Amino acid sequence: MGYKNKKRHVGIIGIGETKFSSHREDVNQPEMIHEAVRRALDDAGLQIDDIDCVVHGNMELFEMVHQADMWHTIGTGAYGKSAFRLTTGGTTGGTLVCGADNLVASGMYDVVMAIGFEKLQEGHTTGGITNMADPLWARKLQSGALTAQAAVKLIAEFGEERARRAAMTYRIIMDKHACKNPNAHRAFHLEWDQIDDLMKHSPPLIGDLRLIHMCSQSDGACAIIFASEKKAREISDTPVWIRDHITIHREETLNLHNNFYPIQTTHRFAAEKLYERNGIENPLEYFDVFEMYDPSAWWGVDWLRDFFLLEGDQHIQMVENHDIMIDGKMPINPSGGVIATNPIGATAMVRVAEAAKQIRGDAGEHQIPGKVEHGLASSFGGTMWTVLTMLEKETNW
Amino acid sequence: MQKDDFSKSYVVEGKLALPYTYFAGRLGSTFLTTIRDQQKIMGVRCNQCSKVFVPPRQTCERCLSDIRENWVTLENTGEVINFTVVREHDKHLPRKTPYILGMIRLDGADTPMVHIIEGVNPESVSEGMRVKAVFAAESEGTILEIDHFIIS
Amino acid sequence: MGEYYGIDVADIFNSMQSRFRPEGAEGVEASIGYDITGTGMWELRIGPGGMSLDKRDELTGCDVVVHVDAQTFVGLNIGKIDAMAALGAAKLKVEGDFNLFAATGKMFTKYVIPGQEVVPEQELLVLKKTISVNQRFAAGPVMGTFLQGLKEKKILAIKCPVCGRLQSPPREICAPCRVRNDEWVEIGPSGEMRMLEYCYYASPDPLTGETRETPYGAIGILLDGCGENEVFWHLLRPDQLDDVQMGIVMGDSVVHGSRLRPVWSENRNGSINDIKYFEIER
Repeated sequence: MGYKNKKRHVGIIGIGETKFSSHREDVNQPEMIHEAVRRALDDAGLQIDDIDCVVHGNMELFEMVHQADMWHTIGTGAYGKSAFRLTTGGTTGGTLVCGADNLVASGMYDVVMAIGFEKLQEGHTTGGITNMADPLWARKLQSGALTAQAAVKLIAEFGEERARRAAMTYRIIMDKHACKNPNAHRAFHLEWDQIDDLMKHSPPLIGDLRLIHMCSQSDGACAIIFASEKKAREISDTPVWIRDHITIHREETLNLHNNFYPIQTTHRFAAEKLYERNGIENPLEYFDVFEMYDPSAWWGVDWLRDFFLLEGDQHIQMVENHDIMIDGKMPINPSGGVIATNPIGATAMVRVAEAAKQIRGDAGEHQIPGKVEHGLASSFGGTMWTVLTMLEKETNW
Repeated sequence: MQKDDFSKSYVVEGKLALPYTYFAGRLGSTFLTTIRDQQKIMGVRCNQCSKVFVPPRQTCERCLSDIRENWVTLENTGEVINFTVVREHDKHLPRKTPYILGMIRLDGADTPMVHIIEGVNPESVSEGMRVKAVFAAESEGTILEIDHFIIS
Repeated sequence: MGEYYGIDVADIFNSMQSRFRPEGAEGVEASIGYDITGTGMWELRIGPGGMSLDKRDELTGCDVVVHVDAQTFVGLNIGKIDAMAALGAAKLKVEGDFNLFAATGKMFTKYVIPGQEVVPEQELLVLKKTISVNQRFAAGPVMGTFLQGLKEKKILAIKCPVCGRLQSPPREICAPCRVRNDEWVEIGPSGEMRMLEYCYYASPDPLTGETRETPYGAIGILLDGCGENEVFWHLLRPDQLDDVQMGIVMGDSVVHGSRLRPVWSENRNGSINDIKYFEIER
């Protein structure tokens, strides 16, 4: 892999998120985006003139507005500036971070603002996703992002009762986190004693995937401002450094419809490569927070194993023992994650934003109680591909 | 397999059809319902940049200041500052071709808006012509609340 | 009977008659049961003559029964709680005709808290459009050969000259080996079912914009002649959804799935629709 170290460090110096919700009839797209842009500028203490370049992204088939970056100039502040548009499906938000990081690290720009957004209320999410499939074959068969394959696998490996209980436990933990995050879209105030009831009665979508397991369809935007080390230290007292990022794609879609294990996932492949080149031997010990792109509770449970390179039932135990809770050994998604909040083009960027806030120590009510110095954020998209981003409090690696 | 054997290649007819729902937002709704109910076209002023924008926007694209409260009422008249003639028919278009699509700067505004120009044939339209808004009897809450601009 | 948000459950039922919108209930003739946990049961009847409401001891024979706790019920009626959120959290359960329950939103005006001033909300414009675009896709020589094969009731796969992997539907190259595939192999047409996506959720078919009939099954089939990872993707005969078994290979343990065969369409034009679906091979 032709990977080279960065020419210079890149720090996150400003973060802006809208409140996420299913109802944003009161704003059009650029107005909604502007809320995040304004918050990011205020957070960094910058004016729009301080920004050198704007990177913008979403998945256009959800709103069916093409070249949205042009229209959105009135909200993004890209007028007269260098501007790029990136769109890579579900990973868009993660790719926006990679893009901004590369633009600053390369020395081309000193201060770059990345903006991810989605207004899912304006389109049909599942219908939109099916349009990304091959029109001659898969478009007719694809069921959007809805799939029960992770459930099939977990049930086959660990039995119905244990697998279903783990998925619902994961779900309730995420809801408990979402209840602490004022920006979260869905916070149901679920209680532990609802597990049995929800396992039976939440409406089924596909196979063992029920409505309660699945991510929301949200409206909202996220903006992050990145700066070169020199600028970052001038502007911010608490810059959060992007140590590394990795993107792994796969060609294959057909074996996704198989029931043949173990298979190597792009998540595990990305994690192995990223840890190897950064000398991380025990990711569970190293990271203090992981913001995972978890589109459903089933995937959330299953992917813990891949991202932390676990064996056997360690990932199930992490859920059963509540290790993944905000005050647990390895806090996962203190923000409530994607099941609570999913404005797709912004979602993966919110993972980075939330992990960075944890490292800054100003996440508010959903701040992890212990020390947070090393963060990990994942993105997920398309036919199972992965972006992983590593964040650090210090530049001492 | 022959490298350049296209004998098995053919074209498959497809279609993409999905429902969408677009929101004008508070500002856009005020703009359009004022046209519909009062036959009045409003813009917003950026005091810092001394520009009046129409259609209105929440922020000034140049200095990014919040201008959503700075409503100004514009005249229903204006000037053609540019135009094109749409000749190729397509089912998505709002008129039968040929018709004139103009950039019209309303009196009192600094930015032009795009709309349909009538009352002149495509061969005779020119920059600098004066136009006046003709309001629609019925519309679905879009910019076609103004039916067209007519040469005055 | 408890009060929530300062409102009694009975207030909501007692005001139903005055909030009834006959124009929203046109053509509806049905009965809707409300089981408010710990509070009581009501039956709402809608018909040509309007509506009637009665307190009941049991709710048998209703077209739909809504089970909900009092707080959620009040919250839903005054707009404090979103119905989808309540459904998702299983705080609201709908037994019977779900569409009928959903339609009740149109049958009544909103409950207004007595004495509370009603501030007229700004009219927010919304434009609803089904965007429909005709498209033409070039099959290309590789996909074209595969689709032509379907016309002759043949399922073709393309073989990688390096790793021997089969791909169907085919691709021109084998991406991991970075070589051009050069050999066609006929596979199936029968095989073993490996994956079933049992879809209850009705999404629009993006080719038509029409909502699909549910439940339906999208399946992965290991066609005869294919190796472990070389599955084929299609649909299952809808009435056999509950009769099939998924195969699974987990390390050394192998469970075989149902044997399936394709059901071909009479008129085949070289498209995915040339196979109607796969059915159990008996």
